[in-house]
Amino acid sequence: MVVLKSLHPPSEGVRLQQADTTAVLDGKRLGAGTLFVAEAHLSWFDGSGMGFCLEYPTISLHAISRDLSAFPEEHLYVMVNAKLDDEAEAEQQNKASDDEESDSEDSGTITEIRFVPSDKTALEPMFSSMCDCQALHPDPDDADTDDDDYEGEEYDVEEAEQEQGQGHVQGDVPTFYTYEEGLSHLTAEGQATLERLEGMLAQSVAQQYHMAGVRTDVPSTEFEDGMEVDSNTVTGQFDDADVDH
Amino acid sequence: MDIVSHSIRERTIAENSLVILLQGLHGQMTTVDLRDESTARGRIINVDAFMNIRLEKVLYRDRLGFMSSMDDLFITGRNVRYVHIPDHMNIIETIETQLAKIHCVRNFGARKEYSKNK
Repeated sequence: MVVLKSLHPPSEGVRLQQADTTAVLDGKRLGAGTLFVAEAHLSWFDGSGMGFCLEYPTISLHAISRDLSAFPEEHLYVMVNAKLDDEAEAEQQNKASDDEESDSEDSGTITEIRFVPSDKTALEPMFSSMCDCQALHPDPDDADTDDDDYEGEEYDVEEAEQEQGQGHVQGDVPTFYTYEEGLSHLTAEGQATLERLEGMLAQSVAQQYHMAGVRTDVPSTEFEDGMEVDSNTVTGQFDDADVDH
Repeated sequence: MDIVSHSIRERTIAENSLVILLQGLHGQMTTVDLRDESTARGRIINVDAFMNIRLEKVLYRDRLGFMSSMDDLFITGRNVRYVHIPDHMNIIETIETQLAKIHCVRNFGARKEYSKNK
């Protein structure tokens, strides 16, 4: 027994909105409604404005299921590592076993939700937008807290190099040399350009255009030694262009 | 999907953990065992630094043993228990190749070949 709540549809960060989508919760059809894939959470509302809301960290997996032997219609399958409300949870725990849900598992409570859009071509965008939003909610328990040290912080290049000499960069990996320290010297535009070009590079390493890295208005003579890239970037880092890290 | 994550943070995480090995499995048929003891066998489309795994053409066996097929499956990293590395893969080589890709992107701006391109 699921209790639908009167909630507000998300107002921002909505990656996808799919109307005419039936929700089937643990085998029980809730009727047609609208699915909202928002960056903060996943929600669904029926015609009367009642619905439910799922937090991404509780979603174990989601998939496009076109297997008609498993379910008579193509749909987006979502497995949630929680029950939707306390009442349902208490009830289902007291029952010996439900149709699909028996909580003798490690995780205990699992809810299976199927979103069945009337427009089957919407399944792919529904799936991808959920993937994108899911990636915005990495598991806080899992991540090594040290990872945060590498997040584009403002490094003083000399300081970083000194620490390197001591065999210890800010953070915990002694021999690890990142280029994050150079980022603090990039302008916002330089940063955007750098990231865009890195994307290009990832696709085709062979293609190196004149803009590689920074700007277009500098005479090529300046590039002869391949070391000076842009006055905005950290020349200190590139002085050792031959040294691979 | 891209081979090397654009996010600096993701690259750093990958470089410092064995997730980088999983990222070298793109395109391989593998079986992923989940924490709830269900399994998913399919072709790896992408693994990100948080070990979220995207598979295609998946045969999914839920914890009760019921099988179903799914076109596209996204498993949240924290729900992964095991990833079966195909026997034919050389693990060290895979890791080294992935690291090289990351370093390639990182050293882009400092390359000497740069000077030849106007």
